[in-house]
Amino acid sequence: MNQQTNPKAVTEKRMFSRETTVSVNIEADPSIVWALLTHASDIPRWNSTVVSLTGEIREGGAIELKSTLDEKRVFKLKVKEFVPEKRLVWGDGMGNRVYSLDKKSNGVLFSMSEKIGGPLFPLFAKMIPSFDRSFEQFAADLKKEAETIQGSKK
Amino acid sequence: MTTDKLTPEFEIFQGELKSFIVRMTASVQDAEDIVQETYIKAHAKLNTFRGESSLKTWVFSIASNLARDLLRSKKRWPETVTDICREESLGNPQFFQEALQIRQTSPQGNFEIKEHIALCFTCVSKSLPLEQQLALLLKEVYGFSMKEIASILNQTEAMVKYYLHTSRSRMIEVFDQRCSLINKQGICHQCTELNGIFNPKQKAQEELVKIEMAKDAENKSKEELFALRMKILQELDPFESGAAELQLHHLEYNRQVMEKYLGE
Repeated sequence: MNQQTNPKAVTEKRMFSRETTVSVNIEADPSIVWALLTHASDIPRWNSTVVSLTGEIREGGAIELKSTLDEKRVFKLKVKEFVPEKRLVWGDGMGNRVYSLDKKSNGVLFSMSEKIGGPLFPLFAKMIPSFDRSFEQFAADLKKEAETIQGSKK
Repeated sequence: MTTDKLTPEFEIFQGELKSFIVRMTASVQDAEDIVQETYIKAHAKLNTFRGESSLKTWVFSIASNLARDLLRSKKRWPETVTDICREESLGNPQFFQEALQIRQTSPQGNFEIKEHIALCFTCVSKSLPLEQQLALLLKEVYGFSMKEIASILNQTEAMVKYYLHTSRSRMIEVFDQRCSLINKQGICHQCTELNGIFNPKQKAQEELVKIEMAKDAENKSKEELFALRMKILQELDPFESGAAELQLHHLEYNRQVMEKYLGE
C-alpha cells in the first residue's frame, strides 16, 4: 500500500473482482478530515471528482452520488459503517467504498479503497472505467483542503 | 465573580449579544427572549463560572446554546431566500404599505443600502449549517478568537477551523454568484431596487460609491470583498442604526415568508 505525499492509486485485478486503493498522509487533525468526508453538501466544493452528492452521510443513511467517472449515472448508495474519525463504508450491491483514517503523530494516514465484483463481473469488467486517476485526485483534493484548513490562522 | 458585578458587566455587551442572536434567529422577539433567558441562566449558574474564559465568552456560550436549542429543529433557509421573499412581497401590498409608513414616520426608518447589505447577509447566512453560521458570526462579526469560539461552541479548535473555512468559502461563492454589487453578472440587485423605492430622489450609483465593497468590486479579490462585507456588519447595530426599524420590519417579514415556504 502506498503511504506517500503524492497519492498513487494501485489496482489489483482478479477474475471476479477488481480493487483500487489509494493512501496519503495528511497533516491535519483527524476531525477536519472526517468532517470533510462526511458533510455531504460541502463535498462537491472541494472534491473535483464529485459532481453532486445528496443525502446524509451517517450510519444507515442513503446518498446519491454523481462522479466525474460517469456524470450521466447516479449511484444510489447506502452508508454501511460510520465510525467517527476512523472508518466510513458506503456501497451498493456491486461493491463497497471504504475510507479509513489512521491517526499519526503529525496528522492522519488516509486510505480509500473500492472493491467491485461478483459472478457477472467478467462480463462487464471492460465497461467499467479505471478508478486510478479519480482516486488519486480525490486523495490529493482531500489532502489539500484539510491541510489548508489546518493551517488557517485567521 | 459576584452577582452584583454580573449586571454591569452584562450590560456592557448586552447590545452585541442581542444583535448576534437576532442575526442567528431573524426574530426580534426570539432575540429579546434569549437575551433575557441568558441573563437569568448566567445569574443562576454564576458559581460555575471559573474565570477560565472572559465573562463575555461564557455568556455568549450560554446564549449560543439557547439559540441552538431554538434553531436545531427548524429547517435552514435556502440560498435563494432573497428571491423568494422578493417574489412574495410583490404580491403583498401590505408589506410595502407598512414599510413606507415606517420610512415616513420613524426616526429609525431611513433606507440605506449598506443596511440592506447587512440584512441580506443575515438572511443568506441562514442557509449555512447551524454550527457554521454560529462560528462565522462569532469570528467575522463579533471578533472572538478561535479558542474562544471553541469554548463557546464546545468544539475543538480544529472543528472551528473547519466551520470557518467552509462557511467562508460557501458565502464567498454564493455572493460572487448572486450579488450584482460585486459581480456584474450577479442576479440580485435588491438593495439598489429598494433604494429606488424608499429614496426615489437619490441616485443609487452615488450611494454605492460611498460603500467600499461596491466601489472596489473590480479591484478586489473575492476574499477581500467578503472581508469588506463583514466590515459592514461589524459597524452596524441592527437595533440602534437610523435604519433599524425599517430593516427589522423587513427581516421579520422575510422570516415569516421563510416559515411559510419551509412549512414550519
